[in-house]
Amino acid sequence: MESFFGRYRNLIVLLAALLLQVIGLAVQVRKPASAVTTGLANPRRDGAGVLLIRLWAVSLVTPVERTIHGAGQGVGGLWTNYLDLRRTQQQNKDLQATIDRLRLEQAELREDALQGQRLQALVKFQESYAYQTLAAQVIGTSGSRSSRLLYLDKGTDSGLKPDMAVITGDGIVGKVRDVFPHTAQVLLINDQTSGAGVVLATTRIRGILRGNVAGQPQVVNILADSRIKPGELVLTAGGDQIFPRGLPVGVVDKVERDAERGAFINVIVKPSAQLDTLDEVLVVTSLEEHLSKEQEADLAKSEDLKGPEVAAAAAEAARKKAALEMEQRLPGLTDPNAPAPATVIGPDGKPMPAPAPIPKPLPVAHPDRFSPGAAGGTVGSAPAADGAAPAPEVEEPKATKPDTSKKPAAKPSKPAPQSPQFSGRVQ
Amino acid sequence: MPTLIPDHRRDLEIRRYPTYIYVVAPLVSLILQAWLPLLLKRFMYMDLPLLMTIYFALNRRSPIHGTVLGAVLGMAQDGLTQGAIGIHGIANTVVGFLAASVGIRVVVENNVIRMVMNFVLTLAASGIVAFIVRVLLGQDWHSSGLDELLRATGNALIGAVVFPLLDRTQVRE
Repeated sequence: MESFFGRYRNLIVLLAALLLQVIGLAVQVRKPASAVTTGLANPRRDGAGVLLIRLWAVSLVTPVERTIHGAGQGVGGLWTNYLDLRRTQQQNKDLQATIDRLRLEQAELREDALQGQRLQALVKFQESYAYQTLAAQVIGTSGSRSSRLLYLDKGTDSGLKPDMAVITGDGIVGKVRDVFPHTAQVLLINDQTSGAGVVLATTRIRGILRGNVAGQPQVVNILADSRIKPGELVLTAGGDQIFPRGLPVGVVDKVERDAERGAFINVIVKPSAQLDTLDEVLVVTSLEEHLSKEQEADLAKSEDLKGPEVAAAAAEAARKKAALEMEQRLPGLTDPNAPAPATVIGPDGKPMPAPAPIPKPLPVAHPDRFSPGAAGGTVGSAPAADGAAPAPEVEEPKATKPDTSKKPAAKPSKPAPQSPQFSGRVQ
Repeated sequence: MPTLIPDHRRDLEIRRYPTYIYVVAPLVSLILQAWLPLLLKRFMYMDLPLLMTIYFALNRRSPIHGTVLGAVLGMAQDGLTQGAIGIHGIANTVVGFLAASVGIRVVVENNVIRMVMNFVLTLAASGIVAFIVRVLLGQDWHSSGLDELLRATGNALIGAVVFPLLDRTQVRE
């Protein structure tokens, strides 16, 4: 037996190492039915627990990364500020000229900007929310192409928790995943295991944003819709309890049909934030509204001054928007194939309004000679020679039995206000 | 052929290194692997922990040593990701075993052979990772052949520079 283990010692060690790791994989990646249907291979809730191996690896790597990052910035600053001064004189002249030009432009733009700010503030102030954020620096990555992670220089010591949103001024970046004492993982929105609720700004179609195998964020599980066009803005929907509502995500890059499900499409999104070149990010630490005292004072003042007008304008805009959406979604009440009414040219050469429809009489229960269509039921009259509207004539029924040999006397009535082309008779 | 097959005692001996080298070199490779993408962005065509696995496995000529080192470094790589731990671990384990097994049979001081070994073993590691992700885990795996070739080439070139530097730390008897 000893000779067997001695002879195949290398192979046994190899197989043992592989077996242990495969078992470890099997334990970590258990697929419940729901995960299979959604395509998620790792259903573990983010931040639910950190594996010891991961904790060791991060504890080993990130302190050195932080040091290297800091030292790199220090050396870069030393070089830029003290050593690399060759073109400083020329740069100084160019900058001075730029400043002079910008001062002139600034004076012109100031008034416009102030006016724009006031108007914008009136409309948007009521909708705007301010969130508590914490700035953090990106100090490292996962080092793997299949895992799109970033490491921040802030952790639980700074109040970071799992599932906090990470954003920049351009748009959303991702969410905090595992948090360590002095560092935190950020799962980028273009990772395959990420997920964020988004809405297309124009078509108002909602979906889930996640990364595809090529590392592009895409909105999945959307039924094919021809209204979705490249360039449409994509915003956060706010329903995922992670990202605040209305933050820019990116713009639609292209629309691809889902290869597995023909009725669905994948909307490839070009992210607003530069996910490959991030240096600093903001972590949204609280989703509660947080307005400064100045903002609250401005809000109260604007409501006092322009509150009713703004409210009326907003209500009118909302009403028009709702009507427009209803018009687009509901079938039309008019026949689109019906021919357009002919334009009538008046005597002065100008188009005249269409004549009012001629009222049709109800069918008569007991027709007599006065009934419509009966012979001799109406008295004709020649149209006016000057082209003016002839006065409609109304027959006065006799109280006695009518004499068929004699036509009843016609009595002109008061002309009705109608178009000049009207030549019919009212009976 | 004499340059490929070891026939001298010097070629067959196991190279030894100071203990701290076994700790520092893999650790530095892990740190650089995680930090360099910030500078190189998407041009990160290298896998430094795998390179360390290959180097020590080739020079130690011990399959057990290569297996264990590959497993530890691979799992540490996995520890820096959000994925399952063991993907790179299994790949590096196999590569460490293969490198040590080949190292017994070829001259490992020849730089051309080292470059070829790095190139081939890096491709093998990529194939194993793809197999684990697609077959064992049932997940999507996207990587173009060009990317994998560039990564293997990058590892081969970096190995040509780093391996001679590590050779200098050998313990000479």
